[in-house]
Amino acid sequence: MAEISGRDAEGAARIGLGAIFAAFFMLGVTSFGGGTAAWLYRAMVRRRRWIDDQAFLAGVALSRVMPGSAGVNLTVQVGQRLRGAAGAVAAVVGLVSGPLVIVVALAAGFARIAGSGVAHAALDGVAAAAIGLTFATGLVLVPRDAGQVGQILIVLATALMVGVLRWPMLPVVLGLAPLSIGIAALQQRRRS
Amino acid sequence: MPEDWRALLALVLVFGPLSLFSIGGGASLLAEIEHQAVAVHHWTSPRDFADLFAISRAAPGPGTMLSALIGWKVAGWPGALTASVALYLPSSLLVYGGARLWGRWRGSTWHAAVENGLSPIAAGLVLAGGIAVLRAMPGGAAVWVAAIVATVLLLRWPQLNPLALFAVSGVLFGLAAAFGRF
Repeated sequence: MAEISGRDAEGAARIGLGAIFAAFFMLGVTSFGGGTAAWLYRAMVRRRRWIDDQAFLAGVALSRVMPGSAGVNLTVQVGQRLRGAAGAVAAVVGLVSGPLVIVVALAAGFARIAGSGVAHAALDGVAAAAIGLTFATGLVLVPRDAGQVGQILIVLATALMVGVLRWPMLPVVLGLAPLSIGIAALQQRRRS
Repeated sequence: MPEDWRALLALVLVFGPLSLFSIGGGASLLAEIEHQAVAVHHWTSPRDFADLFAISRAAPGPGTMLSALIGWKVAGWPGALTASVALYLPSSLLVYGGARLWGRWRGSTWHAAVENGLSPIAAGLVLAGGIAVLRAMPGGAAVWVAAIVATVLLLRWPQLNPLALFAVSGVLFGLAAAFGRF
């Protein structure tokens, strides 16, 4: 998007598209382990002060409800606040381009040595630990309050249908989401 | 050439819709991506899928780089770019349009119900992804044991650097293979 929008968000101090791209490029290539949101907080809120705590938390809340990677969604919102549509594009392209090149280069490099059983075994080890990280992430998200039996059943039903029975994800989500939101709404009414 | 275009179109048709269903982040798509790439489209063997999954998690950046690697496997660089755009664009457009509306409705009761209602589904999908990849892995019992140990370690010490854990596990498996234990 070469065109520069004159109507940037809230007329805040203008930060150049190049600077936005560069900041998110750095964020992309230095945020390891998938927790992009946490790295973004450190780089954009704490260090650069491009957005404040409140805007960041509102962005986190939104990316919990919206589909998409939380890190990418937050990046869209920060870029949008800084420089409108052009800022959002610069930020997302910056965030994703570095890791994209790195990950494909790694895969291409690995393809050269893929004949070796040791290399495959080492990657199995990495994958096993990465599966552990996936489980740990999922388990942290499970609701723990005593009154949330319904939510825990939803977690189990989703994991069972998609992970074990291998039902296609889209119909499962379309079926369970209204149910789960209904349970949450009922609980709120009971509480108030 | 038409072959290539068909492959790119197939990538768009798989990853585009998934973009709008990645509740609570890219990790929720893992089970479905594995299913589509291995069983439905035969883009990768289970062996290759396990390798690509490991590489995607060891690389920096948002956790959804797996889709770029599947695209790369299918159609080289154009495939990697196509899969990435298909996965990131629809959800990004939605969040771009939604940010203002969302701020206006913040604090309403249904706002909280949607947020609280979607999080158990996100948790279930993330767990499903772990289960799906674990079941698809060709590595055998050692992989299951290592995955469970890693889960326990990360739950017990959340500050543990996942990359260090990946490296230790990778080296252990590599050494075991080099000395012919498995």
